[in-house]
Amino acid sequence: MTEINLDDKDETEIVQLSPLDGMGTAPDPAWFEQPANELPFERYVLTTPLHLVAATESRTNQWTEWNGYTLANVYTTVEQEYDALRTRAALSDISPLVKYRISGKDAAIYLDRLLTQSVAGVAVNQVARAVLCAGDGCIVTEGLLFRLGETDFRLVVRSPHLDWMLDSAEDFEVGVEDVSGTIAAMSLCGPLAEAVLEAVGIEQANSLEKAQAVWVELGGMPVYVSRTGMMGGSEFELWADPDDAPIVWRRLLDAGRTFGLLPVGMAVRNVARLENGIALEGIDYQSGFSAPDLSTACSPFDLGQGDRVSLERSLFNGQKALTAIAKRGSRHAMKGIEVDASPGVRIEAIFVGDRKVGRVTSHAWSPRLQHHIALALIETDALGASSGFTVEVNEEGEGCKRLAVKLEKRPFLEFS
Amino acid sequence: MSEDALQYDAIVIGAGHNGLVTAGYLARAGKKVVVLEASSAIGGAARTGEISPDYQVSTGAHLISCLPKKVERDLKLAKHGLVWATRDVATVALDQGGKHVIIPAGGKKDIATLTAHATRDGDAWRRFDAQMKKFISVIGPFLEGPVPEMGPDLPGRVPVTTALRLEKLGPRDLRAFLRFMPSSIARILDATFEGDLVKGALALDATLGHHSGPKTPGTAFSFLYKRALETLGQGTGYPAGGAGALSDALAASAESTGARIRLDSPVAQIIAGAGKVSGVRLEDGTVFEAPLVMSSADPKTTCLDLLGARHFEAPMAKHIGRIRSQGSAAKINLALEGLPTFENFTDREYGGRLLIAPDMATVERSFIAAKRNELTLDPVMEMVIPSYHDPRLAPMGHHVLSIVVPNVPFDVEGGWDARRDEFVKRVIDTIALYAPDVSNKIIAGEILTPPEIEEKLGLKGGHWHQGDMSFDQLLAFRPAPGMANYATPVEGLYLCGAGTHPGGGLTGLPGKYAADTALLKEKIS
Repeated sequence: MTEINLDDKDETEIVQLSPLDGMGTAPDPAWFEQPANELPFERYVLTTPLHLVAATESRTNQWTEWNGYTLANVYTTVEQEYDALRTRAALSDISPLVKYRISGKDAAIYLDRLLTQSVAGVAVNQVARAVLCAGDGCIVTEGLLFRLGETDFRLVVRSPHLDWMLDSAEDFEVGVEDVSGTIAAMSLCGPLAEAVLEAVGIEQANSLEKAQAVWVELGGMPVYVSRTGMMGGSEFELWADPDDAPIVWRRLLDAGRTFGLLPVGMAVRNVARLENGIALEGIDYQSGFSAPDLSTACSPFDLGQGDRVSLERSLFNGQKALTAIAKRGSRHAMKGIEVDASPGVRIEAIFVGDRKVGRVTSHAWSPRLQHHIALALIETDALGASSGFTVEVNEEGEGCKRLAVKLEKRPFLEFS
Repeated sequence: MSEDALQYDAIVIGAGHNGLVTAGYLARAGKKVVVLEASSAIGGAARTGEISPDYQVSTGAHLISCLPKKVERDLKLAKHGLVWATRDVATVALDQGGKHVIIPAGGKKDIATLTAHATRDGDAWRRFDAQMKKFISVIGPFLEGPVPEMGPDLPGRVPVTTALRLEKLGPRDLRAFLRFMPSSIARILDATFEGDLVKGALALDATLGHHSGPKTPGTAFSFLYKRALETLGQGTGYPAGGAGALSDALAASAESTGARIRLDSPVAQIIAGAGKVSGVRLEDGTVFEAPLVMSSADPKTTCLDLLGARHFEAPMAKHIGRIRSQGSAAKINLALEGLPTFENFTDREYGGRLLIAPDMATVERSFIAAKRNELTLDPVMEMVIPSYHDPRLAPMGHHVLSIVVPNVPFDVEGGWDARRDEFVKRVIDTIALYAPDVSNKIIAGEILTPPEIEEKLGLKGGHWHQGDMSFDQLLAFRPAPGMANYATPVEGLYLCGAGTHPGGGLTGLPGKYAADTALLKEKIS
C-alpha cells in the first residue's frame, strides 16, 4: 500500500521547487492519505508516491491503471512525448512495479531454484534479467534482479506473486518481503538521459555500464541508479525512497528543461517498448497462474528468450517442463510483424490463407517507422511458411479487411 | 567400523514390511543392501508385541489379505519361517440379536444369514458381487504393476487390458461403472440392499483406515479398490505368531541373500547433491554411502524432512506437503482369560473378522464425531481373536482380542491423556452389547491412539497407509501428482512405502514395484 507522506513542510518545499507555479499549487495531499482505520487491500485505486507531482504535469487528465495504481497515460500529447523519448529525454513514473527483497543465508540458492538462470554470476550492484517459471514451464512473471549485497537481492517484477515466492521459500533460510510500498521508481530514457543525470549532479551515470547499478546521493537523498529499461537506447531507472521521490522527480524535470526533457505517460512507453520488440507479461501473454489455458501463456522459449534459461544446472522451478519443451519445441512463438495500415486501426487475428494461425497481442503506430508494428503469438507449425501471412484489420467506418504482412525481426528499431 | 564398511549398493530406510520386501528383491538382484531402522525392532506396522507376559498380539495391523503369491514365492517366505495360522477368515457382521451376517456370502448357508434380515438381500448380494467382479476386472490391471506416469502431454497410457475390459462391460455396466466410481458407498448400498447390518458392515469396510464416512463421495471407489487389492492376495488370514511373523520371515529372507539390517539407526538426513543421492546420515552422525536410497518412510517425511523441499521444484514440494495423511484409527489389544461369549457363534464366527457396525448411520456418526475431534458415543470396529487359530499367542484357554477402531480423531478434544480411559470404556461397553461377559474376562490391555501410532510405529500423522487412499491420492496420483513412478526428482532416491502405489494393506507391492523400477532404471542407463 502506498502512503503519501508529505507533511506541510515538505509540501511548501515542493511548491517552491515546482516549475509550474503559474499553474496553481499541487492538490491537497490529504486527499490521497490512507484513512487510519483502512484495512490492507481495502482500497482498489492506489496512487504512487509520484502521483501529486505527476498530476501537476498533466495537461490532459488522461490516466491509466497498472497493478491497481493510477498512472498518467498521456501528459501532453503523444507526438510531443514520443519525440522527447526518442530524440531528447523522457521521465516516467514506474513505481507500480512489484519489488521484493530477498535476503538471508540461502538467498542466492533460493533464487537459483526460483529463476531460470543462476544468480551465481551476478556481482554486487549488477542487474540480471529474471524469469520466474511455473511447474509447467509457463512464465509466472519476469523482471529484473538487483544484487544489493552478497546475500541481499531485490527482485523487481511486473505483477505480484508473493504466495509463489513464499511457497518456493520452504526449506531455505531466506526472508522474502514485499517492499513495493517503500521504493518509488522512475525511468529516464532518451539520447540525452545521461546529460540530464549529469546536470543534476549524478556524474557516475557516465561510467555506468549496461545492467549495472550504483548508489548516488542527490541533495542528500540516497538514490539507486541502474542502467536498465526496455525502451531501447540510452536509459536509466532511478529507485528512491517514496518521501524523496517527488523531489528527485522535480529536480530531474528542472535540470532537464534545457535538454527538452518531458514527463512521458504509459501510452508512449507502450509504443517505445513495442519498437524495442519487448513482449510483456499481463499484456502480450498471461502469467502461467492466471492464464485460462495454455494458448495465452508462454514459456521463455515461446518468446525467443531461450538464452534466459540455463537448463544444465541445479534444479529450478519449471526445469523438467522446460527441458521437455526445449526438446520438443514450442507450441507457439511471439513474432514481430509490420502492417502497412494507417494509424487508428485495430489489428486482431493473423492468418495463413484462410486458417487462423495466431493473434496479435499488442500493436501500435510507430511514428519513427511510419508503420503499424505488432507482436503476434503464432502457432509454430505455421511459421514454416516465410510468407503468405495476412492480418485482419478493423478500421473505423471502413470495416474489416485483410492485409498482407511480413514477419519482422525484433527489435524493430535499431539503437546504436 | 571402517569407512569402507559403510559403503553399500543400496540403502533402505525403514524395516517395515515394504522396506524389507524392497531389501529382499534388491539383495536377490545381487545388491549389497543395508536396511536402516529407526526403532529397536523390525516390522513397522506389521509387528507382534506383548500385551503382558505370555499374551502376544499383532501390535498394529492384524490381518493380511492382499499379500500376493508372487512375493511369497519370490522371497521364499515359507522357507524362512512363514506359517499361516489361517487363510480363511470370514467377515461376520455382528447382530445384537444373534442373527449375524456372514460376508462375503459364499455358500447357501451364508446367503441365508443375509435373507434372515431382508428376504431380497440374498439375490441383491449375488448381483452386487457379480458386478463388483466386473468392475474389479477393469481396475485390476492397474494394480499388477507400477502405474503409468501421467505426462504433461500424454493423458496417461491406460493398460490395454483395462481398455478392452471397459469395452467388454457393455453400455449398461459401463454406465453403472461410471456412476459407481465417484459415488459414496452409502448411495450404492442404499440402492442395493435392504438390511441395515449388511449395509453397515460394507460401509465400514469401505471407510476403514481412511478419514471418510459412508456418505463421503468417492468411498464407493475406496471399497472397490480394497476388494481389487484382495484379489491379488490369497485369502484373508494371519500367520502363526501374528503380523510380526511376516516381517520376521521377510527379514530372514533378505538376510539370507546378504542384506544387513541395522536397528536403532534413525536417519536424520538423506544426502543429495547436484540432483543425485549419495547416501544418508544417521542422527548420531554416521554416514552410509550408496548410489541408491529406497525410503519406506512416508513420502512427506522422506521428501520434506529427510531430504528437504529445496530438492524439488516448488509445485512438487507443495503437492507433497498437501498429502492428506491424518490418521483416524486406534488399536486396542486385550488379554482375556477365556473366550468371550457371543450368541449363536460357531467355529467359523469365532475365527472370523468381527465387525461392529449395526447400520450406516452409526458409521457416519462416528466419522462426523472424528471430524469434530470428538469421540463417538457408539464406536464401530473390526475385531479379531487371533489366538483362536493360533493358540500359542496366549496361555492355554486364554485369548487375545485385537481391535481396530476407525474414525478416531488425532487431536481429540481435551487431549488423549484425559480421554483415553473413557474411550477404552466406550469400546468395551460396545463389545459387551454383543458379548456381555467380555469385561469380566479382561486381564490386561493396551491402546494405541493415532498419536501413539505415529510415535511407536513411525507412521507420520498416525495414518496406517501413509496417506488417505482416496481417488485423488491413488494410482497416478500416489503419492503425489507427477511422482507416481516411485522415483523422486533426485536421481537414485526412490519411495517404496505404503505411501506409493498401490497403497497400504500389507501387500508388499509398493516395496516390490519400487525395487523393480529402480533395477529396471539401472539396467536402462
